[in-house]
Formats: sequence, C-alpha cells, structure tokens
Amino acid sequence: MSVGFIGAGQLAHALVKGFAASGVIATHKIIASSPETNLPTATALRKMGVNVTTSNKETVSRSDVLFLAVKPHIIPFVLDEIGPDIEERHLIVSCAAGVTISSIEKKLLQYHTAPKVIRCMSNTPVMVREGATVYAAGTHTELEDTKLLEQLMRSVGYCMEVEEDLIDAVTGLSGSGPAYAFTAVDALADGGVKMGLPRRLAVRLGAQALLGAAKMLLDSEHHPGQLKDNVASPGGATIHALHVMESGGFRSLLINAVEASCIRTRELQHLADQEKISPAAIKKTTLKKVLQQPGVTGVTGVGVPTGISLFNSHNSKQKGNSGQD
Amino acid sequence: MGVVVTHSNEEVVQHSRLVFLAVKPHLVSTVLNGISKHVTPQHILVSIAAGVTLETLEQLLPSRSCVIRMMPNLPCMLQEGAVLLACGAAASQEVGSMLKNLLSPCGLVEVGPEAWIDAHTGLSGSGVAFAFVFAEALADGAVKMGMPSSLAHRIAAQTILGAGLLLRDTGKHPAQLRAEVCTPGGTTAYGLHALEKGGIRAATVDAVEAATERARELGRR
Repeated sequence: MSVGFIGAGQLAHALVKGFAASGVIATHKIIASSPETNLPTATALRKMGVNVTTSNKETVSRSDVLFLAVKPHIIPFVLDEIGPDIEERHLIVSCAAGVTISSIEKKLLQYHTAPKVIRCMSNTPVMVREGATVYAAGTHTELEDTKLLEQLMRSVGYCMEVEEDLIDAVTGLSGSGPAYAFTAVDALADGGVKMGLPRRLAVRLGAQALLGAAKMLLDSEHHPGQLKDNVASPGGATIHALHVMESGGFRSLLINAVEASCIRTRELQHLADQEKISPAAIKKTTLKKVLQQPGVTGVTGVGVPTGISLFNSHNSKQKGNSGQD
Repeated sequence: MGVVVTHSNEEVVQHSRLVFLAVKPHLVSTVLNGISKHVTPQHILVSIAAGVTLETLEQLLPSRSCVIRMMPNLPCMLQEGAVLLACGAAASQEVGSMLKNLLSPCGLVEVGPEAWIDAHTGLSGSGVAFAFVFAEALADGAVKMGMPSSLAHRIAAQTILGAGLLLRDTGKHPAQLRAEVCTPGGTTAYGLHALEKGGIRAATVDAVEAATERARELGRR
C-alpha cells in the first residue's frame, strides 16, 4: 500500500513524521509532491526517505491513499489537475480546513463515476503521535476505506469518525488547539521568567505542566473542574492564581477563540465554494512550474486576468454544466 | 411557642445548661459581665454574635468556661440553613458533637476551626444575599424577554431551589452538573458563554472575599 501527499508542507511533514515513527508504513512507500522543491519541509521529507517530486501526477499514479495536504483555496486547482488521473483504487483524503466532501466529489465526478473521498481534520501533534483527528466519509467510501484511514491515523494519535457538519468545530478546537497551547506555554514561561526562572527551564516546566495535566485528565473519569479543585488547596497559591485568571476572563477568552476559529473555517469554506480563485492567490512562478509538468493539460482560464474559473475547464468532457448547483 | 420569657439574664443562666447568646455584638461584653458570676464549668455557652471571637468570649467569662461560636445563616428559619460551629478551648469534642446533633434541624451543621468562620460568613451568611441578587437578575432577564414579572420571579426562585437540590443531593461536582445540562450548540452553552464574558466567576470570588475580609475586620475591632 502506498501513500501519496499532494503538498509537502507542514501537514504532510507532520503526518509522515508520525507515520514513520509508528512504523505503520515505510517511508520509501510514501511520495509527496510540491512545485516548491526548496521548502524546508520538502527537504526534511526527502531526508526521511520519502520520494519528493514536483509532479502531482506522479504522486497520484504512485499512491493508493492520496492525502490532499494543500491550503484550502488550492484544492479546486489541484483537483482539476489530477482529476483525470484518479483511478478506482484511489482513496482521496482531504485535510483542508473548510473544504466539504460534496465540493470535492462534485469536482471529481467530472472524471470518475465513484470517487472515494474522506474529509479529515487532524493537527500537527501527529508528528509526535499525539494527534487529534476526526474524519467523515464520502458517498462512495466503503467500510474498508475508513478502516484503512483509521489504521493510519490511529498510529499517530486519536482518531474518530464524526458527522461532517461538526468538522468546523473540531478545527476550532483541536485543529487550532496546539497553537493555543503554544501561546499558553510561552506566556506561562514569561511568568516564570518574571519570577526569576531561567527561560529554558521555564519553558520546559510550562510544557511539562500542560502535558502532565492533559495526561491526568485523559486518564481520569473526573470532570476537569474536579481535578482543578484537587490542586487548589484552601487559601493557597493556586486558588489565588485561578482567581486572577477568572478576573481576566480566561474561560470566555478560550470559548471566543474556539468560536472564532470555527467561524473562520466556515468563511473559508464559503469562499472556496464560490469557486473563483484570484490570480493573486497563487504565485505566478508556482503556476508556471505546474503548467510545465508533463501531462498537465492547461487548466482553462489559468492566468487570465479576470481570474481562474475552475468550473470552465474540460468542458468537452462534461455532459452538462456541472458547475451550477 | 411555650417558651418562658423573662427580663432576667441571670434567671436564664441559672435555669439552663445550654445558653445561647443572641444579642448584638456590641452588647456582648455588657451581658457577659452581668452573668459571668453565675456561669459554671457545666454551662455551655453558644455565641451567635458576628465578629466576637472565642478569645473575647473566654476573657469575659470565668476561666475554663465552655464556649462555642456559631455562625448560622438566614435559611435556618426554614430548616435549610448552613451552620458552622467553632469550639473554644474548654469545649470538648463531645460537646461539639452534641451541639451539632441538637442543631441538625437547622439544616447543614458542620464543626470547624474558628479560622473558617469568617469565610463561612462570606460564603453562606452573605451568600444567601448573593443568591437573591442572582434570582432577581434571572427574573429581569426573563422580563426583558417578554415574561411577566411575578411569574418570572416565581420561576427564578424555583430554578435556584431545584439547582440547589441537585447540587446537594446528587453529590456531583457543579462542573459535572453543568456539563450535563449543556447540550452541544444549545441554549445553555450560549447563555453560559455570556455569563463567562461577564466575568461572573471572578465577581463571585471577589464577593465572597470582600464579605470575608469585612468579617475579619469586624472581628478585630
């Protein structure tokens, strides 16, 4: 079984690192493509033994499970490029925030009668095998396909199937979550430094405190509120600190953050659904590189000053205008 | 109610083993000076005077007098009070337990060190008033949303009562109970978010702290 990644950026790198550490798949059976060969992540992938190419088509032809690990607004562009090369065996796994299964299936149905699509939302700690992944299965996906994805994603952390309409909320919570935690540890460390600790020690202790707390919580049946109580001795240091946090609106701040991330994800989805990419969204040099790839028939409308309209491509293959809802 | 009422404090002390001091704090020293010579080691004196410490009481009475400080709260009158007892130096554990049992019809009765009495005052003495404020605000919210005032007040009271019973009788952590009411994406989640934005937790901690500090201050005078 081979795994391919369209995109060789942060997510591809994190997933490959996790897969390699877990041994669920050998790195030489992984191929990743990106028009930018100089990306630090692409270099890192190569060092891990992954085949890194500039050709998306090559990645498609040499993989069975195909991860779409590019930014959401690039997805339609990629789908148009690789659509004709998708075969029966391919399992397309999109990790793009806000990109719906139906939007992906709609594109691929132009080329294939039953494209197998799974939408997933993961997070960067897959890199250390402590990821949080949820997925929703598309129309033509079979049980064995979801089991395959689970096998891959469980090797790098938690993985659970969910209803697709919850994925945006998951993005807000555990997708963005590690960033909230990094910010928290940074700030905790600042507190430690202010109170006299050397920076490195402060960061270490801050990170370990969060790690330990998370582990306690995951292993416990208790509500986090109860665990908090267990730490806060009467009249002690912790309860004083908790009061300060409450006064600063800590809880509502976190609720706001998750909400903001979720709402933005929905906005991105809405933008993507509009199916128009401004030329400003893609680097000219990147576009040129892609068009130079062997076998890439120019996506109609690319480079036209009015914008890239992706549903106008391959008109000759369509029976009707599938661009309209 | 069949109680013998007299003008004589001495008569009360002479005819009773257990004596409750239920006068205002500023009258305590006058009263104790008056009855002190009638107080024996067999007497149990229970003071409800806010801010009057065990030390003060013991100094005004013969040495080794059995003194207990009691801090009740308003709902005691409905047998749903919260009472904290603090025992003086000469009050044995047996006396403390006896009094705890005796007072159990008041509601919740606990024994603790004197150091907790001020916090108890802040929490449940004043806490009752905090609950009244919350009830009024809940009702205001409902009125804003179109409900008639008297109905809103009755429902607010019943809501707090019901919540209180669940808290007391399920033994679950309040956070757990909250989670159980909070349907994903539902009304409660939205309402709670508004409460958090309003800083209700910090305000409540501040309130208990302010009331406790004031109790301590009054106790020092």
